Amino acid sequence: MSEPTVDPRKKIRELPIGTEIELTPPDGRTWHGIIVPATEFSGSEIVVLKLASGYNVGLEVTEKDVLTVIAKPKRTRTARPASPESAPAAVPQGPWVALLTTGGTIASRVDYHTGGVKPVRDEKEILSAFPALDAGGPVRVLPVFERFSEDIVPADWVELAGHVVEAFRQGARGVVIAHGTDTLGFTAAALSFMIRNPPGPIVLVGAQRSPDRPSSDGFTNLPAAIQVARSGDLGEVVVVMHDGVSDDRLAIHRGTWVRKMHSSRRDAFESRNAPPLGYVVGGRVQLGAEARRPSSAPLRAETHLDERAVLVTYYPGLSPVRLRRLVRAERGLVIAGTGLGHVSRAHLRGLKRLIERGLVVGMTTQCLEGGTDPYVYATGRDLLRAGVVYLDDLLPETAYAKMLWALGQSDDPAKVRTLLLEDQVGEFVTRRQLEGGP
Amino acid sequence: MKAGLEIHQQLATHKLFCPCPSELSEEVRGTVRRRLRATEGEEHALDPAAAFESSLGLSFVYEVVPTSCLVDLDEEPPHALNSEALDVALTVAFLLHATPLDEILVMRKLVVDGSNTAGFQRTALVAVDGWVEVDGHRVSVETICLEEDAARKVAETGGEVRYRLDRLGIPLVEVATGPDLRSPEEVQKVAQTIGALLRSTRRVRRGIGTIREDVNLSIEGGTRIEIKGVQELRLLPTYAQQEIGRQEMLLHVKEELHHRGATHPPGSVIDVSDLLRDAGDGPVASALKREGSVLAVALPGFHGLLGSSGEGAPRFGRELADYARTTGVRGLLHSDELPAQGLDSSHVDKVRSRLSLGAKDAFVLVAHPDPAKARTALDQVLHRAALALTGVPPETRDPLPDGTSRYSRPLPGRDRMYPETDVPPVRPTQEHLTRLRERLPESPDTSRRRLREQYSIEPDIASWLLQEGEADRFEALVGRGHPVPLVLRLLTHDLPAFVAVPRAEPTAEPSEAVLDAILNALAEGRFAKEGVVPVLEGVLVLGRSVDEAARSAGLSPFSRAELEALVEAVLDRNEPLWRSRREAALSPLMGDVMREVRGRRDGKEVAELLRVALTRRLGTPGPPS
Repeated sequence: MSEPTVDPRKKIRELPIGTEIELTPPDGRTWHGIIVPATEFSGSEIVVLKLASGYNVGLEVTEKDVLTVIAKPKRTRTARPASPESAPAAVPQGPWVALLTTGGTIASRVDYHTGGVKPVRDEKEILSAFPALDAGGPVRVLPVFERFSEDIVPADWVELAGHVVEAFRQGARGVVIAHGTDTLGFTAAALSFMIRNPPGPIVLVGAQRSPDRPSSDGFTNLPAAIQVARSGDLGEVVVVMHDGVSDDRLAIHRGTWVRKMHSSRRDAFESRNAPPLGYVVGGRVQLGAEARRPSSAPLRAETHLDERAVLVTYYPGLSPVRLRRLVRAERGLVIAGTGLGHVSRAHLRGLKRLIERGLVVGMTTQCLEGGTDPYVYATGRDLLRAGVVYLDDLLPETAYAKMLWALGQSDDPAKVRTLLLEDQVGEFVTRRQLEGGP
Repeated sequence: MKAGLEIHQQLATHKLFCPCPSELSEEVRGTVRRRLRATEGEEHALDPAAAFESSLGLSFVYEVVPTSCLVDLDEEPPHALNSEALDVALTVAFLLHATPLDEILVMRKLVVDGSNTAGFQRTALVAVDGWVEVDGHRVSVETICLEEDAARKVAETGGEVRYRLDRLGIPLVEVATGPDLRSPEEVQKVAQTIGALLRSTRRVRRGIGTIREDVNLSIEGGTRIEIKGVQELRLLPTYAQQEIGRQEMLLHVKEELHHRGATHPPGSVIDVSDLLRDAGDGPVASALKREGSVLAVALPGFHGLLGSSGEGAPRFGRELADYARTTGVRGLLHSDELPAQGLDSSHVDKVRSRLSLGAKDAFVLVAHPDPAKARTALDQVLHRAALALTGVPPETRDPLPDGTSRYSRPLPGRDRMYPETDVPPVRPTQEHLTRLRERLPESPDTSRRRLREQYSIEPDIASWLLQEGEADRFEALVGRGHPVPLVLRLLTHDLPAFVAVPRAEPTAEPSEAVLDAILNALAEGRFAKEGVVPVLEGVLVLGRSVDEAARSAGLSPFSRAELEALVEAVLDRNEPLWRSRREAALSPLMGDVMREVRGRRDGKEVAELLRVALTRRLGTPGPPS
């Protein structure tokens, strides 16, 4: 089948992934293998073959090589088509849990032929990856969207909130949302403000290691999240992730208190200013006194968000001119200020003028731990007088989510300021204790 | 027989995917507990070895040492491939006449026995198609890989395996020969030759466990079996020999089973606890006392095949027990070895009748406090018994200190390999490869010849220096002007003697500078060569200077005049002795003198002085008797 007249460099590019070939360079050895996708960082003239031993090798194809096609690609098992219509889901027996997938690391699988990551689409697929996930009762999988979490925007929070409310209305005991970890904290905070009086747990969960790795934390995180959701004994938005780098203890964090504090560790998520609400240890859910129980009040969706706000970390070079450019078309500004909640005094006049024109300015601390306090230094007192709203110990991200929600509730800046200062869902810690004793 | 070797050599560079030092440690700072799950490879198929390990449901404890970092703990992505280690691997490839690949891609090899925190070992194929010549026979070298070493197993207790992280990530060069080896002796020779070649790069770690061999072996009618991780080179022929015997035994069992018309064992597991309540002391009684169960399976046609054909010969019963043990039980009882272990013939009869066994049938019992454990163990027994009909099942086996091996897991296939997407591929430039090729170390053969000729030393001394990696130091010290015999004595006698003494860990390395200082002191007569070991002790363990060490070892200088006076005094004291025994008294007299000057004056010098003095005295008449 070899066609020496055709340039092998050109021909090999035209062969589909999965083609079994032999490649013989002029100096002897014949390579026999299956064409697999080259990595993004491979040289452009490199072809990657999978050998019978399982190793992949990168080969530079030259003009003089002899290329022989041995076999066309075998049809690989592709993901089952998602067709809930053709396979009507049986009405689950007993309390069921809704599992919403959004395309993060946890509910996806690597496709080695395309090199891409594909989301899990249905119960069968997720149960094959996580056997015994439905041991305690049915799990209904609902793919909502497919995004890396850095691609998620506030409109996605609104869509998610709608699905959560719908799941509860259909009788779900709890809802689990599998989510990429990068912006999981933002989503958790936003859902906390948008979904009022939840009748059961809303559990966000992610994985710091992809499930194509045997060591993925998803293998413990997801079952624990399902368990927390099924326990039903919680009426708020929480995040369930590893509490330490061991697999035997997971923490349950309040959605408004939690932040990703490490780029790669399993225990990246931490509650700031307070301990977690509870733990999952040895397969048992333990909730502390702070955890909010399911509400008997009617479930309410306050999903109107106004996105005209920015979150800005103050830094020494942030001049009033730069800041003014940033907020030109905005209704709200959340500042992660220095220390107890400060920006340079050079901003006093500008901020005062912006606030007078209707901008709502919320102050948090870039220290992340501890609260803000306007009374300790003169700068704070002056900012307060200028109309800056001090948001105590809200995380900057939580304050931003709260800002979008509050702006969505009212056009009146005074009303928005009031909503920001009020305790909506237990987001202020206020009482900050020495962790683990002195 | 047909055999191939995989030789794994640790490199003396930092770790393969992080900057941590490649050092073992005894200081444990804490532990981390994990579980692993088998995942699918690129072809969406589960690897049999990985599926097996995952099915055991083990939990893993990792001991964190001061040199551990987040990469070791799988808490951070791997850093780029260690380029220094890659250079060593490429150098080895050139020494073995192999061809490097255009682009080097790091793969993940699924290993879910816990020895890698990630659940896979990272490995890269670096070069192919080499050869090495041993006694005129050219043995093919199929592949040269660069991979990370696994964590060190430190303990294993029911359902939990404990590993230390220090070894994880140390770079390994893996040299795999073709199946060209024809005898157990050749296996060892090839291992020696490739080992010497690896050491010639001078970039390899030394000491126990730094080089490990896997033997792949099959006999006619048998199957390729991998004996993984042999650390004792001298046992290689024994492992090969034992494996030949084991495969012969398995082929015999297969033949006999077919002869008896045996088929797949039916596979039902039956509780026989109630029949054995009155068992005497033994595993059955102890499991029942702890409210456990005794479960049994029938093995039709296996009667008489489970025991041994002679003392020390391989037994099929052991194959069954090995499979059972992988599930965490301690062992099993089979009918060919009963009555024993607290069971008498009435117990055996009762079990046989409960299982409705015929004369040619056998049974296996597992007693365990947890009936579920016993059941999993018997599932493995049934699985293994079924495989007996096929002869030799492909396996990975662990070498044991007695030269036999033990089943570890099924032989992995290609489904366990998939790309490591966290590490970019490496493309060595032609200039870089040329530079490495131009700077290849001298081959062991050339070195041996040159050492012999240049320094006029015995062939086996030259071999020893190369084997032990001391050739460089030898040449450097001789180059500093020290006499060859003194340097050789230091390297071949004193240093090994120092190392052999059990003591607190040395705080310093016996560096070239230290050895140079000692040789200088020797040359100046500040102490004698007998004092080298105590001086090494003082310098390397207690951190003293050479002179301080000599002084505190009681090796203060002893002048020639003092020695002459001592000799005369000893002769005075022992006049009756040398009068009666004449020249034969030399040896006891020598002992008396050396007791006082050992390590301070040279023994040869003492002997010479004493001989002259004694001859002189014997020449003069003694007092009249």
